[in-house]
Parts: sequence; C-alpha cells; structure tokens
Amino acid sequence: MATLIPTLTLSSTDATTDLLNFSITDSLNITQDVVGPSKVKLTTSDLEIGPTSYGKSYVYLKNTDDTIAINIEITDGNSAFQLAAGEFAFFPWTGTCGIVAFSASGTPYLEYAIFEA
Amino acid sequence: MATTAQITITSPDLMPGSALNIAPPVVTLTKAGVNADLDQKLSGVIKVTVGDPTEHRLGPLATEMAGDAHDIASYLYIKNTTTEDATYYIDWGIHETMIGRLYAGDWMFIPWNASDDAAEIEIQAIGGTNIIEYCLFNSDVILPTAA
Repeated sequence: MATLIPTLTLSSTDATTDLLNFSITDSLNITQDVVGPSKVKLTTSDLEIGPTSYGKSYVYLKNTDDTIAINIEITDGNSAFQLAAGEFAFFPWTGTCGIVAFSASGTPYLEYAIFEA
Repeated sequence: MATTAQITITSPDLMPGSALNIAPPVVTLTKAGVNADLDQKLSGVIKVTVGDPTEHRLGPLATEMAGDAHDIASYLYIKNTTTEDATYYIDWGIHETMIGRLYAGDWMFIPWNASDDAAEIEIQAIGGTNIIEYCLFNSDVILPTAA
C-alpha cells in the first residue's frame, strides 16, 4: 500500500476583496493498479485512457499543449469537460464508465496518471 | 480577476526507488481561448441531504449564462468535509453520468464547460448528510427570472 498526497493551491488577489489564497491536501491510500505519469499524443479520434477494469481511482490529467484543447469524455457517450491549453484536472473516478480523450484539432499531448485505491 | 491554480501529486512509496513528484507549472484560469480573466467567483458551504430530491445541481445551467458564455471554461473545486466513515460520500457527475465519489476529506478540481443544459454538475449525498465546500470560477452568469 502506498500513500498519495495531492495538493491544490488556488490564489487570487482580485477575485474578491477577500484575498483568495488556500491550499488543500489529502492523503490517499493506493492499493491497486497504477498508471504512472504518462504522456500520449492525441488525435481527433477517441483514445481510451481509463478502461472500465479499474475500480475506485483518482485521475490526474494535464493538457501540455500551448494552444490546442483536449476533450475528455465518458464512454457512455456523454461529454465531460474540455482541458484548454495548459489546464489540469484531478478527480475521483469510479471506473464504472471508461474515460476517453481526443483533441479538438491537431495532435496535442496529454499527460495523465491513474491511481487505483 | 486573475486567479491561479497549481497542483502537486507526491508519493514517497508508490514506486520503489522513485518517489513520485508531479508538479506542473501554475495555471492562470482564463476564459476559453483567450487570455482574459474570469469575471465571477461563487463559493460556499452546502449541506447535501439524502432523500427527495436525491440529486442536486451545483452551479448554473447553460441557459442561465449570458450569450455564448455558457460554452466556455469554468473551473470547479469541491471538497467533501464530512469526517464520517466510508458509508458517507458524495457522488459527482455530469448530467446523468455518475463519474466518481468524494469520500471524507476528498476533493476535486476540474475545468467545466456547460455546453448545454444537459452538461450540468450533479451531486448526490450517500449514507447521510454530507457537507461540502465548493468554489466555482466562471463568467457572465445571469440570474434566473423570478417567479
């Protein structure tokens, strides 16, 4: 069993007059499969990055491209969200539905990792 | 409204002989496709109860946003603040697709584009009342018409 420690920091000096500056962390037990930090070239065709063979997991995604957006979808056909250039996401995932990624255009690279609890 | 986000993911023991240290650069949250800062920030603490209704919407619908503003990048942070055992959690999803579960202390951060009213963020409490804190950064939300 390993310990995974994700930390998110959000900051803004002008979102509101109340200064935004907080950091949140967690300590997650990882006991099953891991897809270590990986980087794949995407096209406009679906690429499955999260198969349904996984159980409860945590997913990290980052669009490493400077201009091209990457679409993230759930394999039941519903759209999920779009990672614009440079953006990242971190979320819990049940593994009951697969995760696919494809580019809005061109061939951007997606960095990702999956940690099964 | 310049808001920045940064994530780090570390583990001293995930892979033997190689400590994990994912630390991408700080990201400035902007409107889609441009460098303009976002306009609005909505945040709060909500008690999410079980029962009727079982599913709750977090954030506006696409049709509650002005003009083309709905199909742009918004950013959503959610943390389940419950300290209960693993029978208490928050299911989160987009429209009718449940994607994951936030157990005690778990959090998430995603970009979110409300492409239409069927792309809303839904949450559901399981096991009992869960209290979440959330923060939504977006732009140009208009309030629904009063009854």
